[in-house]
Amino acid sequence: MIERLENLLQLVLLGICAGISLKRSLTTKKHTWAMLFLSAFVYFLGDLYWQFYMIFYGETPPYSFIPYLSWYASFLFLLMLIIGIEGGERRKRYHNAFLWLIPVFTLGAAAFYTSRGVGIIDAIISVSIFSALFYRCLGALISRFKEDSFKNSRMLYILILICLVCEYTSNITSCFWMGDTLLNPYFWSDTILSLSFLLLPAALKKAEEE
Amino acid sequence: MNYIENTFVCLAAPLLVAVVCMKEKARREIFFLIIGMTSCLLSSYISTFVAAFQGADLLSASLEISPLVEEIMKFFPVMIYLLIFEPNARDAADCTIMTAIGFATFENVCFLMDNGASGLFILLIRGFSTGTAHVVCALFVAVGLYRLWDKEWLRAAGILALLAVSVTFHGIFNILVSQKGAVAVIGYIIPLVTIVLVTWVARHLFPASDDHSASAVL
Repeated sequence: MIERLENLLQLVLLGICAGISLKRSLTTKKHTWAMLFLSAFVYFLGDLYWQFYMIFYGETPPYSFIPYLSWYASFLFLLMLIIGIEGGERRKRYHNAFLWLIPVFTLGAAAFYTSRGVGIIDAIISVSIFSALFYRCLGALISRFKEDSFKNSRMLYILILICLVCEYTSNITSCFWMGDTLLNPYFWSDTILSLSFLLLPAALKKAEEE
Repeated sequence: MNYIENTFVCLAAPLLVAVVCMKEKARREIFFLIIGMTSCLLSSYISTFVAAFQGADLLSASLEISPLVEEIMKFFPVMIYLLIFEPNARDAADCTIMTAIGFATFENVCFLMDNGASGLFILLIRGFSTGTAHVVCALFVAVGLYRLWDKEWLRAAGILALLAVSVTFHGIFNILVSQKGAVAVIGYIIPLVTIVLVTWVARHLFPASDDHSASAVL
């Protein structure tokens, strides 16, 4: 019951985020808004596929290729959103020793997932997309946090970072399923992820004011 | 026994002759129609192989494996065309849609061979829903092909992400139409509604005066 409610809440919040960003992309015709729309929309589609499968067949999809593909694509769109905000600069470099922890974390998590039955290709895709996104977000937040020119974009980066952390938390906690109870951390991290998506349009609007 | 290879040869032969006789744009479009039919044929082999490799039953194969394989197989020839010939926006998007039409046509022929052609109502639904679903999925990729991303590498990543959108849309469609009653009806209507929405959104996002816009395709 709690799982169904949480999934429904996530669908609604993602739908609102997709709706707002589609409206903004139609009025402003900016690529960044189109990226946010596509990110929320593809995550929404992945959730919808998962939900329909659970409702009609009473179990989670046994192979899960499709929903995972859509969730990875959602983060790929967020990466393109960040690159768009930074003026399309592809090879942005940040120099901070702390950033070396990113591959350690993402590779460690991928090794954990593969030990739980996730395929190698799946792990490679997740490491590539999530490492790049972590690098962009953390790099910008560490190097530019006190810059005046970064003040308006700060919240956007923080929210995307929260989405990333929540995605990892949800994935890891789903491997240690604690049942359909409010004490299950999976529901909390997934709800925070949904709320972060809901706040992303406001954060992007502020970032565009720079 | 369903002799789909023989059917393919029979359907593709006159089109191949047409490719030799025609020129320029018409030749390219007929060629991609054949490519789409070939993708459909190869998809059925690959889906069967992947399903057997994964030990999947018929249901999992149709709901989880075939949307992924079919969308990738539809996109693969277009990707090769993009990489080798570097066509302009309109040509690339036209070819994407022609591939989808070829795919849907051959799939419908296979359906007719399996189920007969006596029920006009069922065939109308089949034609306007499943056939349109393939075109809608191709349209997602076509819209993003040239207009959403102006840099080459960003376009490549973006199209891969849009491919994920089309795979998921296809998967949802397959789940809905595998049901009975109202759910299946909703599933059958979704592609037509989506094609109207995508056309409307693309026309508003990309003004028709811009020749490189996706609306030029629609």
